[in-house]
Amino acid sequence: MSALLSMDNLTGGYGEADILQDVSMHVDQDEIVVIVGPNGAGKSTAMKSVFGLLTIRGGKMLFDGDDITGWAPNRIVQRGICYVPQVDNIFREMSIHENLEMGGFLKKGDLSAAYDRIYTLFPDLKERRKTMAGSLSGGQRQMVAMGRALMLDPKLLLLDEPTAGLSPKYMEQIFQICRDVRDTGVAILLVEQHAKQALAFADRGYVLAAGKNRHEGTGAELLADREVAEMFLGG
Amino acid sequence: MDFLDLINFYVVPGIVLGSIYAFGAVGITLIFAILRYAHLAHGDLATLGAFIALAVVTSLGFSPLIALPIAIIATAAVAVGIDKVFYDHLRERPKIVTVMASLGIALMVRAVVQVVWGVDTQTYSRGIVRPEDYFGIRIRDRELYTIFAMIVLVGGLQLFLTRSKWGKAMRAMSDNPNLALLSGIDNKKVVMLTWIVAGGLCAASGFFLGYNTELKSMMGWHMLLPMFAAAILGGVGRVEGAVLGGLIVGIAEEMSVLVLPSEYKAAMAFAILLFMLLVRPTGLLKGKVL
Repeated sequence: MSALLSMDNLTGGYGEADILQDVSMHVDQDEIVVIVGPNGAGKSTAMKSVFGLLTIRGGKMLFDGDDITGWAPNRIVQRGICYVPQVDNIFREMSIHENLEMGGFLKKGDLSAAYDRIYTLFPDLKERRKTMAGSLSGGQRQMVAMGRALMLDPKLLLLDEPTAGLSPKYMEQIFQICRDVRDTGVAILLVEQHAKQALAFADRGYVLAAGKNRHEGTGAELLADREVAEMFLGG
Repeated sequence: MDFLDLINFYVVPGIVLGSIYAFGAVGITLIFAILRYAHLAHGDLATLGAFIALAVVTSLGFSPLIALPIAIIATAAVAVGIDKVFYDHLRERPKIVTVMASLGIALMVRAVVQVVWGVDTQTYSRGIVRPEDYFGIRIRDRELYTIFAMIVLVGGLQLFLTRSKWGKAMRAMSDNPNLALLSGIDNKKVVMLTWIVAGGLCAASGFFLGYNTELKSMMGWHMLLPMFAAAILGGVGRVEGAVLGGLIVGIAEEMSVLVLPSEYKAAMAFAILLFMLLVRPTGLLKGKVL
């Protein structure tokens, strides 16, 4: 089976500087792939490249049979990739329900099936659908952000450090939600700061350092790798 | 002076003036929130709206209140046009460039008004209107229409912003522009809608100022400061705040005559603006900090 998303020898960055050099990765259907690595390794940049947010100077990107290299973000959204930024990922002064409505903005016709799907995934949100998103706790905000991104029924969800600043309890909850989302047939590519926990939960992982691929493998393999442990995971 | 005199001579005119400011302040606050710059041509656009209504009244013989919707539509179209021809090209530049450009537009619009309609004072209809008496409160019909129109138009706008898909898109763009774009909301349409709303409300503001007093080519320019004071007082991005701010500035200007010589009336807006920026820059209803 060919990969849902494959990035081949991608080189690029913001403006002139190349932050990514020859990065290759792929994400299969029904899998959670995590990108870990030290600060400044280009983790978030690698993910933003998928979403058309940086200038690509080499390599190409295939998604679900299409070459999406250089596509504009709004075209990529319509093709089935949704992105949750690390910060400012909700509409604070709009209700939970309105946040979801904005997520489904491009969808023609009735949104009720999409709402049902999100509220089944996040029962907490259904109870508070009229609450302003800005007044929620960090974990709930993350759910709103993911819910917004899932409204368009994407095939691939990109999450930029979804657990940043969350307590361990919420971190576990977000990871569980990621598994639930995957089980509904949505692949997930996420960037994580909490490398150990993330590798333990993801199906596969990539270790990036200085804008280059360093290691690749299943979570367990990477966790067991001595070099990875010493370099990035603090022993 | 008894209580009824206070109401009749200061509060009622203050609410009427405040409603006129509110029309402009709502547009200013929306432009601030969605496009993120101070629009200095707002007052002169209001002047244009007032004179378009005058043209309809004098050439077609319509009553002023029928001329109002026509002026609203025409001014909204002019506002959209100005954005397309001028501001749109500056979108990627620092916002201060657009602010300065809007000052130029203000001068241009005023010049057009002066060339077409002259610099003399004009009115929609002549004659003195006696106020009606409602349980001791004296109020003229045109004053009631002004307040009523403000409630209807701003109430309608509020419904549009909270109930309709595109109204929500405008709020989303004001709340978090990056996320709005990531969600696929069409920025261009939102900008156009903002100008339709702001331009239409400008016309209402100028029209009711002319309807209650008289039309002059500088009328809108003189309203610019109180309208900005009202928008900032209410909290930038807050429609209901702009209305509240407009009413407070209007009433404060009228009441200032009680303690200050009337030449200082116009300075009230400036004092309120300064005071708010120093004490509570987010405004009464917690708007954006700029």
